[in-house]
Amino acid sequence: MEMLLMGICFSVFAMAIAALAFGATVRGKEAPTTAPQVKAEPAAAVEQGFFVSQVSVPTPAGRVAVPVEALMAQLERHVRLEQAAAASFLEEPTSALLHSKTASPFLN
Amino acid sequence: MAKGHYDLLNGVAAEDAERILALGSRVALSSGEELFRLGADADCLFLISHGQINLTLPMKVRDQDADVLVEERAGGQTVGWSGLIPPHRFTLRATAPVDTEVIALCREPLEKYFAAHPEAGYKVSLNLAAVIGQRLQLFQAMWLREVARMMEHRAA
Repeated sequence: MEMLLMGICFSVFAMAIAALAFGATVRGKEAPTTAPQVKAEPAAAVEQGFFVSQVSVPTPAGRVAVPVEALMAQLERHVRLEQAAAASFLEEPTSALLHSKTASPFLN
Repeated sequence: MAKGHYDLLNGVAAEDAERILALGSRVALSSGEELFRLGADADCLFLISHGQINLTLPMKVRDQDADVLVEERAGGQTVGWSGLIPPHRFTLRATAPVDTEVIALCREPLEKYFAAHPEAGYKVSLNLAAVIGQRLQLFQAMWLREVARMMEHRAA
């Protein structure tokens, strides 16, 4: 009887180790194929589910986050360029000057 | 603009201009200091003696409050025309990005002077209308440019 119980214990232990090893192997093989499939979705597109507050929206892959200070500097440059373009139009009101292009970082 | 020449006083007789300036008080602002805030009661307008005033509006940038530059005004120019125009509330925030000096001209003494000297009052009113009109025309053109881009973007 004792021999039988020991045998069962060893069998269960061996099966657990085999299952862990199999799981690790499968995850290792699937990882490279599933990772690039993660796509950034806009916040509005996230389904309003039960756990929506716990869902973290993935950041778009490859997009470099511009610091707020740099963004503000770009915005200031944009405003200055747009004002200069508008002022040119007011000095000589023509359709071409009204819609002239600028080197604004937001438009190029 | 030449030092001592203010756009608000264009065409005003020299004697009147001197008296109007004498009604004001000089205000020194150090770099970064606020001249007036958005929504505040406007009792005075300001002539920039020297330095610069940035006019800004609040905007949310990545959930942070930021002041976005709307206009830059330099020596000789006028800011804070809401001081004379109802409902006497500032519609922008004004700060000095560098050490700046302005002459604060407050509504009550100005209105008294203009009542006694209507010709000076008329000239100043025209100049003030020019300051307001310039902003209106500038922003009208900027808005049209933005709408044109939006239409192009939608059509694409």
